[in-house]
Amino acid sequence: MSDNAATTPETQTPGNLSHDVHQRIGVLTRQLHDALNGLGLAEKVKTWAGELPDAKSRLSYIARLTGEAAEKVLNNVDQAKLHHDHITKETRRIGALIAQDPVAAVAKGHVMNFINDVEEASQEIDKNLTDIMMAQDFHDLTGQVIAKVVGLAANIEEQLVQLLIVTAPSDAQGNRIAPESVSAVQPPVADVIQSVLAGPAVNPEGNPEVVKSQSEVDDLLASLGF
Amino acid sequence: MANELKFLVVDDFSTMRRIIRNLLKEIGYAEADEAEDGVNALHKLRNSGFDFVVSDINMPNMNGFQLLHEIKKDDKLKHIPVLMVTAEARKEDIVLAAQQGAAGYIVKPFTKATLEDKVNLILTKLGLK
Repeated sequence: MSDNAATTPETQTPGNLSHDVHQRIGVLTRQLHDALNGLGLAEKVKTWAGELPDAKSRLSYIARLTGEAAEKVLNNVDQAKLHHDHITKETRRIGALIAQDPVAAVAKGHVMNFINDVEEASQEIDKNLTDIMMAQDFHDLTGQVIAKVVGLAANIEEQLVQLLIVTAPSDAQGNRIAPESVSAVQPPVADVIQSVLAGPAVNPEGNPEVVKSQSEVDDLLASLGF
Repeated sequence: MANELKFLVVDDFSTMRRIIRNLLKEIGYAEADEAEDGVNALHKLRNSGFDFVVSDINMPNMNGFQLLHEIKKDDKLKHIPVLMVTAEARKEDIVLAAQQGAAGYIVKPFTKATLEDKVNLILTKLGLK
């Protein structure tokens, strides 16, 4: 890439322009190859290649869990609203009956039936509210998975920045020109949660190392004498 | 009375701490405090009386295994049952928790019935219910 002066755009023909581009790509490829090997990144690139599908399945897991949580909340709200509407209508009806003939309303069992209705509906609504609360557990589970993906992204970013520094072009004095804002994009790796724990089992099917349900946990503990 | 037992809920996610506290209240255990990691939990355990610990595993600063280890090596705390409630589903983690003295292990996501069963089972075994 030292013959820039000899091949200015004005003097280039389509033939030697094509040759020059190929030559530059070749030099860049060689630089990249040498830099990857020099930094010991070649092996890391292979690791990234293995981790990226894992990151993909983790992101799919997040999408699935948040979708299921939203669905569960909306279904429970629908059910709770039905119970609530029923009680509202029954309250109006029993109110009218009491206003009409309070003694008959009690004697004919309308009031008692209403009380039973309210109790049943309250229990159902309470179940709905508990289920809505439980649906919020996606925050914890997806949070852990997000931390893993962020860790992977930060790791790749850090290595890419190193690569960028090593392959930066030189100025006239032979000093490497630092890519703009390299320091700004340096990831705060120390801040990234890099837990050795596995976190939620994203793809438990077919993995004999993880349990797929609470009953498997109980069986395992029972086999240990618990 | 079992209903007067004091629980400590340890989890780095406030949402999960709140869920577990609410569930404990629903199943009859209204006395509960919370801690966001093992360090904070250990501090609270050493400075206040608790009867039961419900702990996550994957937490910053001090994880659930480390907390369990600290509790079990402390003569004043080792009698407190520790129920692990965690997303860690690896068999080796479950075995490790059992070996370190966990009283029970629940994998997230879990149900109210599972929490109720495990808490009551542990309390019954300990003669506290």
